[in-house]
Amino acid sequence: MSRFFATGTDSESESSSEEEQVQRQPAAAFTFSDDEEETKRVVRSTKEKRYEELTNLIKQIRNHKKIKDMSSMLSSFEDLTRAYQKALPVIAKEESGVTPRFYVRILAELDDFINEVWEDKDGRKNMNKNNSKSLGSMRQKLRKYIKDFEKELTTFREAPDGDDEDEAEEEDVDSDDSDAKPVKKTVPKLEQEKAAKKPAAGDDGDESDDSMDWGSDSDTSSSEDEEDIYTNIRDRFLKKPEKEEEETKREKKERRDRGKRREEEDDGGVWETVRGGVAIPSEKPKMFAKDAEIDVNLVVRKLSEIMAARGKKRTDRREQIELLHELQNISELHNLGPAINFKIRLAIIAAIFDYTPKVSDAMKPEYWTKLLDRIPDAMDVLLANPDMQVAEEILEEHEQFDQEPYQIRGCVLTVVERLDEEFVKLLKECDPHSNEYVQRLKDEIKVTQIIDKVQTYIEHQNKPAEICRIYLRKIEHLYYKLDGTVLEKREGRMPADTVTSVDVMERLCKYVYAKDNTDRLRTRAILCHIYHHALHDNWFEARDLVLMSHLQETIQHSDPSTQILYNRTMANLGLCAFRHANIKDSHSCLVDLMMTGKVKELLAQGLLPQRQRERSKEQEKIEKQRQMPFHMHINRELLECVYLVSAMLIEIPPMAANDEKEVRRRINSENFYRLLRGSERQNLVGPPESMRDHIVAASKAMRNGDWSLCYNFIVNETMNRKVWNNCAQADNVRTMLKRLIQEESLRTYLFTYSNVYDSISMEKLSQMFELDKPVVHSVISKMIINKELIASINEPSQSVVMHHDLRPRKLQSITLQLAEKVSNLFELNERRLNGEQRRQRLW
Amino acid sequence: MSSKVSGIRGGRSRVVPDDCPINVVQISGLPMMKMIKHCHEEGSGSVDVAQGALLGLVVEKRLEITNCFPFPKQDDSVDEDEAYQIAMMKKLRRVNVDHLHVGWYQSADVGNFISLPLLESQYHYQNSIEESVVLIYDTQKTARGFLSLKAYRLTPQAVVMYKEEGFTPDALRNLKVGYESLFIEVPVVMKNSSLSNILLNQLSDMVPEEDGLGFLDLGTSSVLEGHMRCMMERVDELNQEAIKFNRYQQQVLRQQQDKYRYMQKRAQENAARQAKDEPPLPDEDINKLFRPLPTPQRLNPMIVAGQVNAYSSHVAQFCSQAMAKLFVTQTLQKAKEDTGSAKSLQ
Repeated sequence: MSRFFATGTDSESESSSEEEQVQRQPAAAFTFSDDEEETKRVVRSTKEKRYEELTNLIKQIRNHKKIKDMSSMLSSFEDLTRAYQKALPVIAKEESGVTPRFYVRILAELDDFINEVWEDKDGRKNMNKNNSKSLGSMRQKLRKYIKDFEKELTTFREAPDGDDEDEAEEEDVDSDDSDAKPVKKTVPKLEQEKAAKKPAAGDDGDESDDSMDWGSDSDTSSSEDEEDIYTNIRDRFLKKPEKEEEETKREKKERRDRGKRREEEDDGGVWETVRGGVAIPSEKPKMFAKDAEIDVNLVVRKLSEIMAARGKKRTDRREQIELLHELQNISELHNLGPAINFKIRLAIIAAIFDYTPKVSDAMKPEYWTKLLDRIPDAMDVLLANPDMQVAEEILEEHEQFDQEPYQIRGCVLTVVERLDEEFVKLLKECDPHSNEYVQRLKDEIKVTQIIDKVQTYIEHQNKPAEICRIYLRKIEHLYYKLDGTVLEKREGRMPADTVTSVDVMERLCKYVYAKDNTDRLRTRAILCHIYHHALHDNWFEARDLVLMSHLQETIQHSDPSTQILYNRTMANLGLCAFRHANIKDSHSCLVDLMMTGKVKELLAQGLLPQRQRERSKEQEKIEKQRQMPFHMHINRELLECVYLVSAMLIEIPPMAANDEKEVRRRINSENFYRLLRGSERQNLVGPPESMRDHIVAASKAMRNGDWSLCYNFIVNETMNRKVWNNCAQADNVRTMLKRLIQEESLRTYLFTYSNVYDSISMEKLSQMFELDKPVVHSVISKMIINKELIASINEPSQSVVMHHDLRPRKLQSITLQLAEKVSNLFELNERRLNGEQRRQRLW
Repeated sequence: MSSKVSGIRGGRSRVVPDDCPINVVQISGLPMMKMIKHCHEEGSGSVDVAQGALLGLVVEKRLEITNCFPFPKQDDSVDEDEAYQIAMMKKLRRVNVDHLHVGWYQSADVGNFISLPLLESQYHYQNSIEESVVLIYDTQKTARGFLSLKAYRLTPQAVVMYKEEGFTPDALRNLKVGYESLFIEVPVVMKNSSLSNILLNQLSDMVPEEDGLGFLDLGTSSVLEGHMRCMMERVDELNQEAIKFNRYQQQVLRQQQDKYRYMQKRAQENAARQAKDEPPLPDEDINKLFRPLPTPQRLNPMIVAGQVNAYSSHVAQFCSQAMAKLFVTQTLQKAKEDTGSAKSLQ
């Protein structure tokens, strides 16, 4: 079949299908033989078998001849001579050594053909190498072989009997089998004549079989004639069933092929008229019979006819859309009621969706706009007729178009979902920095309007599962958008009863929490809800939702897109925590994202170039599908900066407290350490340029307890431009940062330099770090309580007194470490011993 | 004058077995001084170790070391090295010095001399010169006032182990080699000729008496810290090795379970086949199906364990000495206070 698709010419399609046929024959012969025939098969054995073999080969050769496949022809010819050799004893016995006529005929044909091709020099030149080589050897072999049959050939050529006639016909007509009809007329005579020499042989037998299963009168009579004449008539009948089957099969196949050629799928006749109706507008009425009374049933039938072609390979999709429009016009013209109207509209929408063949590709903009027009129209129809019921569960048989309540099979929800997906795909297709993207993004209003419409409809229908789905769609359009009214409301600039997006989210999500039973929707709803809260600085609500949902434990089992949503949510939660000065929470939210260094991928904001292995096309496609459209992206620079700053605030004081080289306690933020170490390794550290440089420089300043330098590195022109200006409530964040840096620097200072002080006045510290005295007091007290600083506060003199002798000496701390290590080693050894025992027990 | 330089200490002490070709090393002053000089010039401060050859002869199970010469700073070419040694020995012979190669010496810092290269060279020495020893001179310790010179030989088991190059746990167990039985320490005795003794006696009269300050050095914590750090590194290394071995053990266990399961299944199948009068399944090589896992080499952990052992014995020794010193100083202090108070009373 592959050849058929490659070249697609008529004759080839024919021959290849036949070829297949031939190859399949043995199997067919097997399956259609009954048990009772099994025994009889033995009777017909040798001659039948040999002849069948020969005829099959001859058929093959003829096919090869048609497509001028020399190499195959050569091999078939060789097979043929071999088969003939095998058949010789039978021939000698049955036909008293006379070469069967069909064999002579094929030889003559071949000879003619080869000569003809050989003569055609241009054609020979154009042949490919393989073929021309085969041609040469074929010619030689044939010449040699023919010599033995010279006599027979000459007699044959002198009187090329009816067979040639048949042959000519065969060549004229496209298909081998369509000639069955013309042959039929000659059959009786021929049959008898040939049968005298070779009963039940290939080609001719074939034809007679044909005639039999066509079942015309004359044929049956002829076969009856035969019955009288032949002794081994049984064989004929035995052979029939399989041949018959074969024939009908071939017939079917052929029809299908032909059908394909004409680009029609099912019922050719009907299709033909439809086609006319579209191509030539004047023939419009042809869609239905001219005088037909157009009523609901007729239109429905027509519609299903059109829809039947949907999704098939050769269907012209544009044509289908036009057809459906046509149908809609007609139905409107005849005023067939809203139900049928809606049904057709649904079909049109589906057809437009179908227009883009690949799921991964975005649809064309013109179809997209068409879609945006069509769907609201359809929804309007739906909303205008409250009795209309559209559902997937309604079977086609139960659809009701002519009376209320209307019942229509279909699902508006899937339409909307598909629409939404297409929208995202379209957005991803555009360059995010171009105007086109903005233009496209404007369509979101329409999309949300459609969603709202569908929502009203579905709410009206009151099916919780579907409501959940449509709510989620709405949520997913809502969750990443910042609603300014929320903040205004919080500040009291708006009346308290204004409905903000947070309230809407609350309502939608709560419904989903309560009614959803798929889990996936609920998970997504929760994540969106958290995201939305985090976006609007509702830190506590967001945090409580995260903690209540226990999503962290199960998220790795969910699908990738939900995991991406989870990552996005965590990123936003981290930012929100940072704005609320909850540095630790912020850090723990972000650390998982940042640790891998694959933030881009985790947030689905672009593909990472892969170094080790190329990803396959498939994988790339899948990954591309997961990407977020640009307007939903989270600023990665900001994210990283927030992470690094929180890491700095968390990690630097303990680093100062412990000898850095010794205790690598539990390192929380590997990334941050790596960055620091990287800069330490550099010989020459220039002034900071990138965001990371700034943070490294700030960290170093903090380690020396120089808070103002640290702050200047974190907050300055460059950093403002690069990062902080992208942050919501940037001013609040900056003041928050200042305070935190002062506090942490104070801690670092105390850790680093406590060993050189016997006592230090808090007054002095508060001046140094520009902190209020109570703050200093509380920071130091906390350190003392946590046993981080071995000191006491002397209230009367407002100073911190250090207790150096209580600090463990270096030797002591080292010894403790060593002890720990040794106990580790001991444990390992114990385990090894256990393992050894287990092993011995096993044996 | 004959004095024992290194006493019998720690876990390393062992009676030299009878089958050993030598049971004592006797070293005279000259090679000792030469060696110390070389080691301090080259070995201390830098990462390199100073090495040299020992010359002498064996007299009735006593190895007398009468001279030595340093190896040049380590070059990569072995040929040059050998040529130098041979030339050196020839020249020494001309000046009528013992020219028999009886071992080699190396500078070291506490316990770090136990290493693979040392094991290797000593093995080769002992292979070619039956009675050869390695002298280890501890520069750091000597700098603190304790002359530390030790002679070591490989134990016979260690030699066998090295010969067979099998460092698998089984091989080590069969040979009964452990970190403590890699080396055997041979007591070192210093003996000078009577003439030099006389000279020394005369000299000691002439040299003013030294203040014994070096012996009362109380800088304990820094030394201990250093030791602890080194020990920690070794323990870390041991930990790594232990983890490696545990992993191996788990793998082996898993494999054995698989193997067991497979064999059982096979046996069942065969039983079923026998019941049906079919021939049993052919025996496949089970080792092909379950390839034996490569056994981790135990040599390195053994050496590391030896080092840890050396360090810990050093630390123990150091602490006991320090303790003694502390008591001494305490008494001295007390005595001083007493006299002070007595004076003030007067």
